[in-house]
Amino acid sequence: MQITIDHKNIEVLKGETILETARRSGFEIPSMCYAQGAQHKSSCMVCAVKNLANGQIIPSCTTKPVEGMQIESNSEEVKQIRTMSFELLLSDHRADCEAPCSMVCPHGLDVEHMLSLYDKGAHKEACEIIKGAFPLPQISCDNCKAPCEKACRRGNIDQSVSIREIIREVVAMFETAEINPVDNRKIDKKLFQSRLGRFSESEKQRLKDTTSTPSGCLHCACAGSSDCKLRSYATQEAIKRPKYNVSSELPIMDRKQVTENMWFEQAKCIRCGLCVYNSKNGFTFKDRGFGMQVYLPEENRKNVSTHLADLCPTGALYLAKEIKENTSGN
Amino acid sequence: MSSCNCENNGQQSHEELMAKMDAIIDRVGTSKEIIIPLLQEIQEEFSYLPSDAIERIYERTEIDRAQLISVSTFYSQFRHIPYGKHLIKICTGTACHVKGATNVYDSFKRELKMEGDSITTEDQLFSIEKVACLGCCSLAPVVQIDEKIYGHVLPGKVNEVMEAFIEEQEVKQKEESKGKTQKVEGEIRLGMGSCCQASGSSDIYKELIKNANELGIDVNVKSVGCVGVCNKVPLIDVVLKDGSITRYPNVKDSEIKEILYHHFKPAGYFKRLKNSIIDRVDTYHTDTTWNNVIWKPENERTGLINNFLAKQKHISTEGCGFLAPLNLDEYRAYEGFDALCKVLTSANPEQLVQDILNSGLRGRGGGGFTTGKKWEIVASTKKKEKYVICNGDEGDPGAFMDRMILESYPFRVIEGMIIAAYAVGANKGIFYIRAEYPLAVKRIKKALELCREQNLIGDNILNSDFSFDITIFEGAGAFVCGEETALIASIEGERGFPKQRPPYPAVEGLNACPTLVNNVETLSQISYIVRHGVNTYNEIGTPDSKGTKVFALAGKIKNGGLIEVPMGITLNQIIEDIGGGIENGEKLKAVQIGGPSGGCIPANLCDVQVDFDAFNQMGAMMGSGGLVVLSDNDCMVDMARYFLSFTCEQSCGKCTFCRVGIRRMLDILDKLCSGNAQMEDLDKLEELANSVKKSSLCGLGKTAPNPVLTTLKYFREEYEEHVHGVCKTGTCKDMIHFVVTDDCVGCTKCAKACPVDAIPYEPYKVHHIDLELCVKCGLCIDECSYDAILKVPVNQEQTV
Repeated sequence: MQITIDHKNIEVLKGETILETARRSGFEIPSMCYAQGAQHKSSCMVCAVKNLANGQIIPSCTTKPVEGMQIESNSEEVKQIRTMSFELLLSDHRADCEAPCSMVCPHGLDVEHMLSLYDKGAHKEACEIIKGAFPLPQISCDNCKAPCEKACRRGNIDQSVSIREIIREVVAMFETAEINPVDNRKIDKKLFQSRLGRFSESEKQRLKDTTSTPSGCLHCACAGSSDCKLRSYATQEAIKRPKYNVSSELPIMDRKQVTENMWFEQAKCIRCGLCVYNSKNGFTFKDRGFGMQVYLPEENRKNVSTHLADLCPTGALYLAKEIKENTSGN
Repeated sequence: MSSCNCENNGQQSHEELMAKMDAIIDRVGTSKEIIIPLLQEIQEEFSYLPSDAIERIYERTEIDRAQLISVSTFYSQFRHIPYGKHLIKICTGTACHVKGATNVYDSFKRELKMEGDSITTEDQLFSIEKVACLGCCSLAPVVQIDEKIYGHVLPGKVNEVMEAFIEEQEVKQKEESKGKTQKVEGEIRLGMGSCCQASGSSDIYKELIKNANELGIDVNVKSVGCVGVCNKVPLIDVVLKDGSITRYPNVKDSEIKEILYHHFKPAGYFKRLKNSIIDRVDTYHTDTTWNNVIWKPENERTGLINNFLAKQKHISTEGCGFLAPLNLDEYRAYEGFDALCKVLTSANPEQLVQDILNSGLRGRGGGGFTTGKKWEIVASTKKKEKYVICNGDEGDPGAFMDRMILESYPFRVIEGMIIAAYAVGANKGIFYIRAEYPLAVKRIKKALELCREQNLIGDNILNSDFSFDITIFEGAGAFVCGEETALIASIEGERGFPKQRPPYPAVEGLNACPTLVNNVETLSQISYIVRHGVNTYNEIGTPDSKGTKVFALAGKIKNGGLIEVPMGITLNQIIEDIGGGIENGEKLKAVQIGGPSGGCIPANLCDVQVDFDAFNQMGAMMGSGGLVVLSDNDCMVDMARYFLSFTCEQSCGKCTFCRVGIRRMLDILDKLCSGNAQMEDLDKLEELANSVKKSSLCGLGKTAPNPVLTTLKYFREEYEEHVHGVCKTGTCKDMIHFVVTDDCVGCTKCAKACPVDAIPYEPYKVHHIDLELCVKCGLCIDECSYDAILKVPVNQEQTV
């Protein structure tokens, strides 16, 4: 069977979808709700292409080609539709890609990462990355106006995390010890930054009641996969900040443990359903329309396996990062 | 549906529940795809889905937790918490919306003292719920309590409705309606469609029987289907021996005796004497008796109705006003099933498909796809197993023609379905009817039984070698299931997610077999085409839209109701000649056609002919045929927001554009209606609307922006006014407040009417309204005899 994509003749292999044909032939079409070899149903419309015969916009990931089909994959119209679908998905994606404290540190310290180590009791590792950022850790924060503490999301709830004090505390712990500095300036500020948006009063209360980390840090930064498709496509599309105001009702920073090291965070989910279609009596959809959620009943936890985290196109379903166990914490 | 065994709530022992559950499972089955009927039965039994019952499902059937949660939370019919003993359903369909359904809802909540989000009274007696449409649009606002439907429920009448209901509960006596067959002195025909019943026709029926007995008149009281004149119901036709018909619109209980007395001589002297005494007593007891019986000259009473019916052309509704819905013999006497016989004897399905193709019939469900084409595709596939589905999942708020056709002409739809099945070679048929239409389900069920008795369905129909059987599937409350792929998914026991087409259901549908999905109205046109021939049918309508279309005419119109008109008639003709113009002397502003998928056609374009393509060109759509007339007192922005909030709620949630896009549009409209929008929001709205229209996966999303796009196109200045904080019609509550003018004489009527005591009781003083307390329900305005209460823009200085 022959079809044309952007006016080029392409031979279609048996059973292929338009997306598979196009990718095999070197066309670049983004996709989120599609994963090779996995069960999927079109939902995100990120892989939209245009069928020139009837002018319809179709999802290429499920549409099977028919003889003589003419597909447009790269026109302005198609691109605009894709951008729009990213914008819409982002408007319902309540999460920070990076923690605001880390974003503003003039020394480039990944503050949130340091705090997460601190909260896990891995003080030595925390100290290592502090040393990586500051040549003179003992005095580095003294003259700083602490934009990190001003940016801290916890400050919107009650009180900002005392970041500078914690840094001093950690540094003091290992004042005499030999610490190898670990360079941790990994935050690429050129990447797209998703923003949490404002907390509602009830969310403030919930976070206040449930946050029990030693530092008081909420750990805003995305703990999900580093290959978040939503983020990389949004960066590609040069989307700076979400065009539409967020009005999601999803519970922010509500992280549920799924298996021993797999976690699920509802507010980051784009409802593509990959985890639903690829688990048997595991994840399921709940409710419908804008309020539709992906949901895992308590009893079904035993039915899911960690490969689902690899399918998730965002950081909604993720494997917890492990601390390298070469040195033990204090 | 019966009113369940709610009294057992909570007190049911576990064993009892298990026994009941086992009985239900034994009856319904254990396979995955029967989940919806199974849950419906459970809810019927327990009034909700108790968690113990659900556990039993996991133990005994193939249904697992993931499927159950997925399905039971998708369809709005299913409840996971027990409701009160009585359920109050507030219709929020289009017609009811323009007549103030939201205020009615608020009034009920106040009346029942429900605080905040709670929807059940503390004593667990009443629960309240908004429903998309009860399909009684001409009686708007409509409220249903348990099985009883109340029409014209204005916010101020809520307490009366509650009192009436409670009183009725106290003296509840269920009389089985007895059907008489003897025709002695004449016949009385009484409409018994849902609208008619909502207006109290079942009471009238009882009253007729009772009075006829009292007067000793042996008269045949016949329940007929919907007459279509829904705003004049209850409607009685008295047919005398000589065949003359006298028609009585808006009949009240108290008039029955007079009417009977007028036409039929009571049998004996004593009965007459007794009768006159009763009448006396009545007169003494209720001083309204004579007020109710207003003997208008007969031509005045009937003239209006005859006008209403004159311009119409009855194909789907042939026999309107005299056919009894469930009298199969009568239907056959009026050429019913002749078409089927003709088709079966000629034994040429190919020709039949060709005929339907040539007739130019297009699907009446919305899109207007050529019916013959669909038939051709299904007929051409070589599979042995094929299905015909009759799509009766009419979910548009403001549309009720499918319900009426199913209720009133069940045999015609069945006949159309059998003919369709014969043409395409299908052996199984399914009626998909929404659960909100219990009467339609009941009637079709009965009609199918009757047909089976006469071998009209089943094996070897009418001794031919063609076999075809029909079952019923009740929808569970999801608008999106009107979309054919979603409908099929729901029959298969999944959530109603539409699928990407192709493959079309005609090629690969239910259980991967070729499936013909046709709308109720489409099927009801078939027998006419077969009986009268393609050419006769072809003469009706415009070049590209043939035949007739049934519309539900409602809104600000004098004579609303169900009408069937030939294609090609103009909207103005419908409004003026059939509908009798706009009510209360207001001016026509626009006609909303096609419900949430359609659009608003402004008054100056209402000379457009009824035609699929003409409507599409204007950005509207035939849709399933709701016609809501709007006057200059209706706010177009609010209208757009209303429809969008409907589609937002009904979206299945699968694709991004429909799930998130519609919500973002709604956000902007909310901003507009509360006066917080900027000019650039209008462009954003338009851009979003166009993208959603272009890129949604199914018909719901693709058409959802139409109400917004058409109002933006034709009423942009009204949007701009809203940006400036002005809603001229006073509909958007955030932009107005109520003030009392100096015309006030201090009569205290408003103070008494105010449900929230925002108007202090101060006789002979000019009243004032406490704006902090005021909920802007408008009851005071309705109550004031001096027009002394006005709605004024909050932002006076910004008035344009």
